Amino acid sequence: MSGRVLRSTDLWRIALRSSLLQATWNYERQQGVGWAYALEPALQRIIVDPAARRARLADHTAYFNTQPTMASLALGAVAALEEQRLGGDPADDPAPRVKAVLGSSLAALGDRLFWFTLRPFAACAGLLCAVNGGWAGALALWTCYNVVHLGVRGAGVWWGYREGPQVLGEALRRRLERLVGVLATLGAAAIGLIVAMLLAPGGEPRPVVFQATLAAGLALGLFAAQRARPSPTEWALGFGALCVIAGWMR
Amino acid sequence: MSPRVLAVFLLGGIAALDATPVAQTLLSQPLVTATLLGLVWGDLKLALEVGIVLQILAASTMPVGSRTPEDYAIGGVVGAGVALALGSQSEFEVAHNAGALVGVLAGMLTAKLGVPLLKWQRRRNEGLSRWCESALRAGDQGALAAAQRAAVALAFAVGVAATATCFGLAVRGLSALVAHESIRMARAWALAQPLWIGLGLAQLLHTFVQRRLTRAALFGIALLGGWLVLMVGTP
Repeated sequence: MSGRVLRSTDLWRIALRSSLLQATWNYERQQGVGWAYALEPALQRIIVDPAARRARLADHTAYFNTQPTMASLALGAVAALEEQRLGGDPADDPAPRVKAVLGSSLAALGDRLFWFTLRPFAACAGLLCAVNGGWAGALALWTCYNVVHLGVRGAGVWWGYREGPQVLGEALRRRLERLVGVLATLGAAAIGLIVAMLLAPGGEPRPVVFQATLAAGLALGLFAAQRARPSPTEWALGFGALCVIAGWMR
Repeated sequence: MSPRVLAVFLLGGIAALDATPVAQTLLSQPLVTATLLGLVWGDLKLALEVGIVLQILAASTMPVGSRTPEDYAIGGVVGAGVALALGSQSEFEVAHNAGALVGVLAGMLTAKLGVPLLKWQRRRNEGLSRWCESALRAGDQGALAAAQRAAVALAFAVGVAATATCFGLAVRGLSALVAHESIRMARAWALAQPLWIGLGLAQLLHTFVQRRLTRAALFGIALLGGWLVLMVGTP
């Protein structure tokens, strides 16, 4: 990073502050204020004039939204852009366009990776360990998710800073897509193992009522998953009410 | 106030922070919070029974885009807390099972009721972000950190207050019912637990499989293989 204004400590501070990206999440600007707060260490270093710096920070409080972990890449890329702008034409400001483009493309990939795949996968890893009791399940869930989450959150700022607006190149996209595929495949296998462990924990088969109800739940769940509404929680509340009635009447 | 009840309230605040405003490390997931509460209350088995059901339902709830998902951060804490508080009133297995049923139902209802609360917080944050921008333009660079601090404090306070309210209402309102109707409720738990687990696991399976035949086949192979290994033993 020789010849550059930002130091490693600045990038570390951006990475740390990115944990608060969603602190002021709202419908109007979404992550806007969190974004400006995370970028503040970079602008503190790059823009010496306090009034100009405050104005630039105020500009950055405008609307921004992406998947929060992947935001690190955009933060690094925009920090590099701000650095390049130093001494250049103030009218030439690519940051809003880059933020918009990176925000949506990182969200598309990040939602699939973190919300649709890694989070459920970590839950399955935790459940596999928790089904037989013990605290290891919670640890497995937390570790499994955070190895990737904290890794990307920390290293993402450096990747973004090094690569600039081209950070989400074809190579990285392909690697992340492959990770999504691997995790989804392992997740499907993990659910198979969880069901097996629930049916016969420690080799002792559960009562037929349990096995039949679990199978009914799986079938109903696959039917319910075809539609976004009602949500899984609404289905579960409905079935819970039915079970309470059945328990009372039996 | 008992230190164990205080732990439930504080964990509610911490979970509310982890869920969205701070770090999102999944510390707020029901399995993690239930395990922590189980260790504090000295009944890990009951806490895990509730935590597993709520975790499966939480994992099938996706926080995508600007949709406000059910708040399983607070729901998980309330669910495990209520089950532990009600289940600890008696040594009998049926009382534990009745506590688990009420705990899961309380957790799901809290998660559902948490949605308007989250929306309210997000609307409060709109005013905060507008104030932050005007304060920055007026020359106060500290406004950014002040806005972040205020939002974090609000989220923690709302988390503690919502947990305390839902926990208090559920324990006060339902302890007599659990004490007198524990057998019927234990029967309901025997039906509801596998049904809820199956429902949630199917949602997760659907998320993973995405109409890929190889993944569906792998699920079947793992289920059959796992079951055979458990029943017959390893060769």
